Amino acid sequence: MNSTYFYKSALALAILGLAACKPTIDVPAPSKGTADFTRYIALGNSLTAGFADGGLSLEGQQNSFPGMIAEQMKAVGGGSFSTPFFPADKANGTGYLKLTALTNGVPTIVPETSNTAVRGSQGGVTLYTKYTGEINNFGVPNIKLAHARIAGYANANGLYERLLPGEYGTNPTTYLDFATAKPWTFFSNWLGNNDILAYATAGAAGAPPTDKGVFATEYNAVIAKLTSTGAKGVVGTIPGVTSTAFFNTVTLKTILAAVNATPAGASVKDIYIQPGVGQARAATVGDLFTLPLGSANLIGVPTGGIPYGLDPRNPVASQYVLDKAEVLIVNDYINSYNNTIKSIANAKGIAIMDGYTLLNEYAAGKHINGIPVSGAFIQGNLFSLDGIHLTPLGYAITANAFISAINAKYGSSIPVVDISKYRGVKFP
Amino acid sequence: MNKILLSFFLAIPVFGFSQSFQVNLQGQKQTAMGGAGVGLALDEAAVFFNPGAVSFLKNNGVQAGINGIWLKTAFNQAGSSITEYNKNKVPTPAAAYAIFGSPESRLRFGIGVYTPFGGAMHWKEDWSGKFTVTALDLQAIYIQPTLSLKITDEIGIGGGLVYALGKVDLQMSVPYTSNGQQATVKLKGDAKDFGWNAGIFIKTISGVSVGLTHRSQVSATVKNGDAIFTNVPSSVQPLLPASFNATLPLPATSTVGFGFYPSEKTTIALDVNWIWWHTYKELAFYYNNGNSTISARNYHDAATFRAGIQHVASSFLTLRAGAAYALSPVGEGYVTPEVPDANRILLSAGIGLKPSERFGIDFSFLYENLKSRTETNIESGLSGTFKTVAYIPGVALSYKF
Repeated sequence: MNSTYFYKSALALAILGLAACKPTIDVPAPSKGTADFTRYIALGNSLTAGFADGGLSLEGQQNSFPGMIAEQMKAVGGGSFSTPFFPADKANGTGYLKLTALTNGVPTIVPETSNTAVRGSQGGVTLYTKYTGEINNFGVPNIKLAHARIAGYANANGLYERLLPGEYGTNPTTYLDFATAKPWTFFSNWLGNNDILAYATAGAAGAPPTDKGVFATEYNAVIAKLTSTGAKGVVGTIPGVTSTAFFNTVTLKTILAAVNATPAGASVKDIYIQPGVGQARAATVGDLFTLPLGSANLIGVPTGGIPYGLDPRNPVASQYVLDKAEVLIVNDYINSYNNTIKSIANAKGIAIMDGYTLLNEYAAGKHINGIPVSGAFIQGNLFSLDGIHLTPLGYAITANAFISAINAKYGSSIPVVDISKYRGVKFP
Repeated sequence: MNKILLSFFLAIPVFGFSQSFQVNLQGQKQTAMGGAGVGLALDEAAVFFNPGAVSFLKNNGVQAGINGIWLKTAFNQAGSSITEYNKNKVPTPAAAYAIFGSPESRLRFGIGVYTPFGGAMHWKEDWSGKFTVTALDLQAIYIQPTLSLKITDEIGIGGGLVYALGKVDLQMSVPYTSNGQQATVKLKGDAKDFGWNAGIFIKTISGVSVGLTHRSQVSATVKNGDAIFTNVPSSVQPLLPASFNATLPLPATSTVGFGFYPSEKTTIALDVNWIWWHTYKELAFYYNNGNSTISARNYHDAATFRAGIQHVASSFLTLRAGAAYALSPVGEGYVTPEVPDANRILLSAGIGLKPSERFGIDFSFLYENLKSRTETNIESGLSGTFKTVAYIPGVALSYKF
């Protein structure tokens, strides 16, 4: 029948046409809003540099959050973005930690020491191969906010020294002056973590945190400089230190469980610690132990016949413990610093990425794009093997939080990073 | 000391079959009429639509039909400028029916083989939701022997036992890499279960026909399904399961349908389906390494409203058209990329050709348009907008004897 032929042909044509008929979703048009992303500079510490697994390596630098943001900014007028990469033949940079085995769930973590960029050492400062090109990512591990305007700081920090021209000890340029030497149109500033972090990770046994008043003065000075040319920017608040894997992997419970599992320690009920102030005492759940205590293998080892940590006469040293009084001090400083950061940023009308809330939220456990993320050591996907710095996935989550803060403040439409492209901890 | 107990958590997606995987393509004539037909004694597909109407069929016959589903889903991750699309993969659910027994007797027999649930959703291996799903293929084929009894000249009842053959193959990425290769898992399993389908068909004095049907829930139970991992780092391998058990509810459906006959050549059908999705509260997977994942689903019952019209234009040609509106059973926060469900509009049309008294060929075309839906999934955290359309052509051949 002719009609049959007609209908069959019509159907065949219709089927052919189907491949083209895709649904569409309206996406926001690219817009820089009221900001200008032509030259973006990133100031900050290890978190800005891409530090991970206890070190700074080329891979870490390539997964820094400012690098991710800059790549996304290109859709809305962002310019080129340079990171002071380690050369490929010295890709392991400072060296870093590697997970080499997981035996019945117990990790073996060893340092990677080959192909580092170490060029020498002077006055106790490790020096690294100099970088001479353009820089947009000024992240320098270990730098405190309090260091930003100190002349000669490079003499104390080899990872800053490697960025400066001249031999060691000859360049007094302050960090803030160096980062702002060339004109910029947009900035991110995530300084401030180390002003409290170093105090906390040393079990409050080392140098005191930066004074709150000094912190406010310095923060004001840094932001005044960064906004002095009319540039817009974003700042980050300081993440909670006590919610990191560094303080939540070795706990009173895990120590007791390990001790109780040994024949001699089966009846042990208390672990004794040396708090920052006062006599040695039994630890409580409110006292936090540092991650290095786990690998130090000290617990129960006798000194002068007295087992370490199991007797008030040989308590766990203060450097491995952030006791509950010290936890309060650390949290009080973070709270004060963050209030300073927010009030200064608000006064200047710049965007705020609330790193404190963000990392607490993910550390508590949350799925993103189907990936389970939590503060748990190794399997949490958020913290790298040092328990404090982030994995590439953690940095991607942070990059998106910065992007959201920028877009919300300036009406721009920087597209978010596809976080599913970034890894958590690398397993052997 | 710092013993790490790695537990393995898959963010298990639904692999339930939402409205979008409830396949309503059991007869070409009915599909062309918006999927309505419970209140009619139209053809052999009554085995599925209303076993009570089988005894009212004028002839015995066989029919077999097939559809192709061109499903097009777009996804835009919240804040992203990129729109991602699913891959072209065309599932072809088929249905076949046969009616036996003497048309003069009150008791008739039928058998049907059809696919009431199924689907195929394939995304690119590196898409932004790859940790929730990269591919899902599922199918539940029901085989249904049927008895239908005409109690009076006006009332018929019928029922059939359903033997359900289920098959699922779910793939996704898992958040590990080995030598730069993304680790993936494939969960594969079969299920064999029973259910039933029953209906009443009534011809009222006013000329309107009425149908009431209920298809039971089938609990598809997968025992010892395979969990196949690839590119998993060797240190993680011992922690992973090799098999799983799971039970997936294929929900019951109750329907009331009406048939109107404004003229000898014109038939109008109206159906309302009620799908008892509320039984789908959670999806639990039990792995052979002692781990389990229990995902909340919290579906709610959902209705579909269907209307269709058939006009016999000549002894050779019959024209059909229909429309339907289906409400999604998936609540806010539970939308997933393998079942990006939403309320949907269905439009259909079709033609029936009768080259001879016994032989028939029916074409249908169904267009489905799902409302776009912007959500963050409560479990996976995947956040963005889904938009789906589907184009579903089909054809069936029938022979009356």
